[in-house]
Amino acid sequence: MLQLFSDVYRYRELIWALALKELRVRYKRSVLGFVWALLNPLMMMIILTLVFGSIMRFSIDHYAIFLLSMLLPWTFFSQALSYSVESVVSNAQLLKKVRVPKLVFPMAAVVANIINFLLSLLPLALLIVVLRFPLHWTWIYLPIPMVGLFLFTLGSAFFFAAINVFFRDISHIVQILLSAWFYASPIIYSLDFIPKKYHIFFRLNPMLYVLNGFRLSIYYGMLPSPGSTAMSLACGVAAVAIGFGLFCRYQDTFVYYI
Amino acid sequence: MANPAVRFQNVGQSFRVIQERPDTLREAFVHFFRRKPRSTHHDFEALKHISFDVPHGTTLGIIGRNGSGKSTILKIIAGVYRPSSGSVEVNGSIAPLIELGAGFHHELTGRENILINGLLLGLSKREIQRLEPAIIEFAEIGDFIDAPVKQYSSGMYMRLAFSVATAVDPDILLVDEILSVGDAGFRVKCFERIGNFREQGKTIILVSHDAEQIRDFCDRALLIHNGELIADTSPEAALARYEEVIGHPQPRTVSALPGG
Repeated sequence: MLQLFSDVYRYRELIWALALKELRVRYKRSVLGFVWALLNPLMMMIILTLVFGSIMRFSIDHYAIFLLSMLLPWTFFSQALSYSVESVVSNAQLLKKVRVPKLVFPMAAVVANIINFLLSLLPLALLIVVLRFPLHWTWIYLPIPMVGLFLFTLGSAFFFAAINVFFRDISHIVQILLSAWFYASPIIYSLDFIPKKYHIFFRLNPMLYVLNGFRLSIYYGMLPSPGSTAMSLACGVAAVAIGFGLFCRYQDTFVYYI
Repeated sequence: MANPAVRFQNVGQSFRVIQERPDTLREAFVHFFRRKPRSTHHDFEALKHISFDVPHGTTLGIIGRNGSGKSTILKIIAGVYRPSSGSVEVNGSIAPLIELGAGFHHELTGRENILINGLLLGLSKREIQRLEPAIIEFAEIGDFIDAPVKQYSSGMYMRLAFSVATAVDPDILLVDEILSVGDAGFRVKCFERIGNFREQGKTIILVSHDAEQIRDFCDRALLIHNGELIADTSPEAALARYEEVIGHPQPRTVSALPGG
């Protein structure tokens, strides 16, 4: 963990430059450029609001905001993972020629998506104001669940990027895993809909704790309990310890397999 | 400086030959259930018991046929490979001219690529900003510097890459037969720059097929054949030995092909 912090600090300029590169390439050659980072989530939110606000009505008040409060962090997680799982393998040419710190590649993929995620919170706040939904003061608490989410994502990114070097199937498996994981997490539904006796299974899902703080702060205007906050941070730290540990252990052999 | 710039002691490097490695989970499962002995792979010894010293300020040439292990030596010095046996000591900062432009991204402009490539080579952002005008000038890119590098001619691409890689001001410069590319005028410039490095007392390690380059530039040469070091002597003697062991060195025209 300390090793990670010192490496990140040491290579901060490189990580930042690679993250910006990733975003720049994503929006390059489009007329609107970076505006898409804002426009894209805004359009998605408008569609969701129309669909769930007028066409399909749920018993949950302001369902669109209920949904988005967890869907945005989830989208970040799933995009960051999809990008980072290939990040080591796709830089094979470079890694074979020059000695570069390997951790910068998954790291940069995650950082690029963090920027995207933070930008997507602006249209969400806008939508909330337009819909006359209360913009709760608990928004200021969001940095804390973000720490848990970012750490958890980073740990998973290291984990899958490392395994993908040895088994290329992982990039496909991650896609399947993500869609199964999405429905297994209470993102489009609330845990209240699930009979109590099944809750035990849901509690095994780390994503439950990681995402919980976002919905509580944005939708309910409540602070998560200290226990829940601690769980989300613990999941993040554990993911980094496992993922980064695995990555470090095998990174010297990557070059022989890519 | 009592320590040599580079010291190899009994270095061996073996690679597992890839085609027999289970590449996917399915194959791994199949192997597991069949309980096949996992010895279906064999190890290829790219380098065997290589020992040599390169004192500071030396220009060392490495010659040998394609696949003899020359580039593997450079990659070990650069830190890309960790040798399977023996020990390697490197004293000083390294700039690898191993594959020019490996870190370039085609959608980004020349200027953006200078930044990323420089950071990859270990410079700080501030140093790169300081060096940027000199890099652009040396590369003779002109206004194209703010165009995406996919629009560059291959000559421009190489010039920019060479210019970034040598701007690093290393103690040890590794050159892997890249200087056979580019137009004649720029080649002369590249050699001038390498000559400057030499005058400044830097260590240069040059892999080449070109007998003339080795003769003109190097103080000493290693001859590698099938992963073994068979001569560590003056360039003339090494080239003579090359001819003896392998037949004649490849003619100049062939050296324009990338390889190693």
